Amino acid sequence: MQSVTPPFARRRTILAALAASASLPWASALQAAPTRGGAANLAMIAEPQGLDPMITTADLVGTIMQHVYEPLYTFDANWNVAPMLAESLPTVSKDGLTYTIPLRKGVKFHNGREMTADDVVASLQRWMELSPRGKSVGAQLASLTAKDPHTVEFKMKAIYAPLLAQLALPSGMAAIMARESIAPQLKDFTGTGPYRFKERRPDQYTVLVRFDGYNPRKEPASGYAGKREAVLDELRFVPVPNANTRVEGALSGQFHYADLLPVEAMTRVEKAQPAVVPIVTRNFGFPYIVFNTKEGLLASAPLRRAVQTAVGSGELMAAGFGDNRFFTAEPNFFPKGTPYYSAAGDKLYNERNPQLAKDQAAKAGYNGQPVRIMASRQYEFHYNMALVMAEQLKKAGFKTELVVVDWATLVQRRNDPKLWDVYFTHSGLFPEPMLSPPQLGDGAPGWWETPAKKSALDAFNQEAVIARRGPLWGKVQQVVYDEVPFIEVGKFNSLSARSAKLEGYTPAIWPFFWNTGLAK
Amino acid sequence: MLRLLLRRFAGALVVLALVAVLVFVLTRLASGDPVALLLGDQATAADIAQARIRYGLDKPLTTQFVLWLGELGHGNLGQSIFLQQPVAQALVDRAEPTLFLALFAVAIAALIGVPAGMAAAIWRGSAADQAVSTVAMLGASVPSFWLGLILIQVFAVHLGWFPASGYGDPGTGFGQRLVHLALPAAVLGLLNSALIIRFTRAAMLDILGEDYVRTARAKGLAERTVMLKHVLRNALVPIITVIGLTVALMIGGTVVTETVFNLPGVGNLVVRAVLRRDYPVIQGTLLVIAAIYVLINLLIDLLYTVADPRIRLEGK
Repeated sequence: MQSVTPPFARRRTILAALAASASLPWASALQAAPTRGGAANLAMIAEPQGLDPMITTADLVGTIMQHVYEPLYTFDANWNVAPMLAESLPTVSKDGLTYTIPLRKGVKFHNGREMTADDVVASLQRWMELSPRGKSVGAQLASLTAKDPHTVEFKMKAIYAPLLAQLALPSGMAAIMARESIAPQLKDFTGTGPYRFKERRPDQYTVLVRFDGYNPRKEPASGYAGKREAVLDELRFVPVPNANTRVEGALSGQFHYADLLPVEAMTRVEKAQPAVVPIVTRNFGFPYIVFNTKEGLLASAPLRRAVQTAVGSGELMAAGFGDNRFFTAEPNFFPKGTPYYSAAGDKLYNERNPQLAKDQAAKAGYNGQPVRIMASRQYEFHYNMALVMAEQLKKAGFKTELVVVDWATLVQRRNDPKLWDVYFTHSGLFPEPMLSPPQLGDGAPGWWETPAKKSALDAFNQEAVIARRGPLWGKVQQVVYDEVPFIEVGKFNSLSARSAKLEGYTPAIWPFFWNTGLAK
Repeated sequence: MLRLLLRRFAGALVVLALVAVLVFVLTRLASGDPVALLLGDQATAADIAQARIRYGLDKPLTTQFVLWLGELGHGNLGQSIFLQQPVAQALVDRAEPTLFLALFAVAIAALIGVPAGMAAAIWRGSAADQAVSTVAMLGASVPSFWLGLILIQVFAVHLGWFPASGYGDPGTGFGQRLVHLALPAAVLGLLNSALIIRFTRAAMLDILGEDYVRTARAKGLAERTVMLKHVLRNALVPIITVIGLTVALMIGGTVVTETVFNLPGVGNLVVRAVLRRDYPVIQGTLLVIAAIYVLINLLIDLLYTVADPRIRLEGK
């Protein structure tokens, strides 16, 4: 979680099998073909942390810049990986190490030049050098080469199943840039997307305008995949960090789209129908509690398990989100019907058993040191959950110390293992488990490194076939419940709103506005 | 006169030097890391350390301070970490909405405050005086964010007369931008009129009790002449003072209103810079705001000398 002001700063994913449900982001918008022209005012949760989609994993930057840059692959409406700048899915060698990717011909950059394999290689090299996601791919890569002007080849050191998902994600994007525009600090945002960058006035707006030379894919639109058309002349992303101001702007018709509203605003948005349309995105993200496994009281795994036994996730979610239309408390990290659904470890979820926790803590040698719970009030739901957790731990005989800081302080302090025992954060729920939380990777705060983690994740990441990866994910989930490097508290839904005038809008996790127009 | 101004100017420079030291020290004493925020959640400690070098944040604090002073000496306020633009440019961009908001609001506050304060003084103890005093008390007590949200509800959401927030779409003209300022200026104007009402009333009452007012009336001068030429003119010094102070307070005090109305002004810039720990922006902006305060105080001193010759004589 990274944005400075807004709750729900990361976006998530609803997965394939859920796409049948009417409350889904991909619920198709059965509207007439939108009218060409016009400018849309789009209220976003903050000013983006720059416009370089590689340097930061902030979803807001990805949301805006996915209109300007495109990746080789993207996700369709069922969260399958689908080609975007690649002509088709890669050919993978028998040993699973070499990916040969054909590129589309006739794709133009905003400067009019045609994209070639050299641009792709230069862009991905920059991505692997600068982007946190790219670096994790780079660590697995043996070589990346342009085989001819329209083919690139990845050679991996070992089988690395998340490769295509990493290449497809809009946040921390593996964006393809014109190689002449590439610099350590981007000044020239030359991509291939349906919109090109026009102007940014920080804290006021970022304006993108239609790229007339855009060459769309031929397949019908599906999720982020398929045909993209810039129907609107202009997209104006307006940073509106104050959530109430976003609500009022949506209700007054000033904004055609308002991102991530407080759930308390649902009643007012519903009352404003039909002029304003509420958008509920299910399973948008998950709050989670990170444990310091390196130093201090909770470096002891048995004590972490005692804390987990004391915690009632259902109560925490209710405290965080209030309205039960906006959260679910369930042990599975991924929704039912998705490839990674698993009930592994479910007996250890939402136990809220103070007596058992007390016994486990005593057995683990607990002698009254306080559990330091770090949370920020910038995300009110983090703070509310932290308060309830502190009470649950007290009932189980733990001493607690609530350390309430602002978000900027929390992201600094969490890197120092001397300063905390647990902290609250949240993340988007992504279609590929390895994309989040970062604690599944190496070096993230919490510093979880154990043989059980390594063995479960190695097995999972070296299996490329999704049907076989699912059960392997269950094993990873079980290790998380057993070793408690973090607690996934539950899943929350998000609320956004759009004007009824905005036609053709397909609700999405990283909202996009191609194929979208304004009624005359 | 000149010596008086030079003395004030030297004092102002000392104040600004102290502000520079204080702002730097306090900013760096606050915990938080702009680079960790900038890079996002997936960034490792190594990524953060690498990026800190790029922004010069790896250097010792004393070195950073000396470098900053050196930049200031060349008239450079530094480069924003988040906005990818010079701090001076960010301030110039933000100055317009804040300045016009402050002037618009002060105009509203003065147009309400001076006549209402005069009326309360002239009809002292009457129902009108009571009503004005009650309104002034309310104005001083109502929180600006609450009044702002009420005005947005009524005039933007229900009536649709004004936009709910912002400073106009890209490319809109000045007139349209003023329309965007109407509601926030009304909030600030209404709230700040309370102070002007109370000062005007008190100043007028003081003057009304003076001998020369009685003499003027005894000479048979028309009441209107007495009020405007003798009473109001002499009450102008404290009224100018409070209006000047109101301008100064507004420039630094538009933060809440700018946040509620999402105006890209200086107040909003400071708040967001603090949340993002954008050190160069916090330091540069606070220094400039302090300089504006000092300058306004100098101007008020100058206006005093024009309005009241006794002050000029003291300076000699």
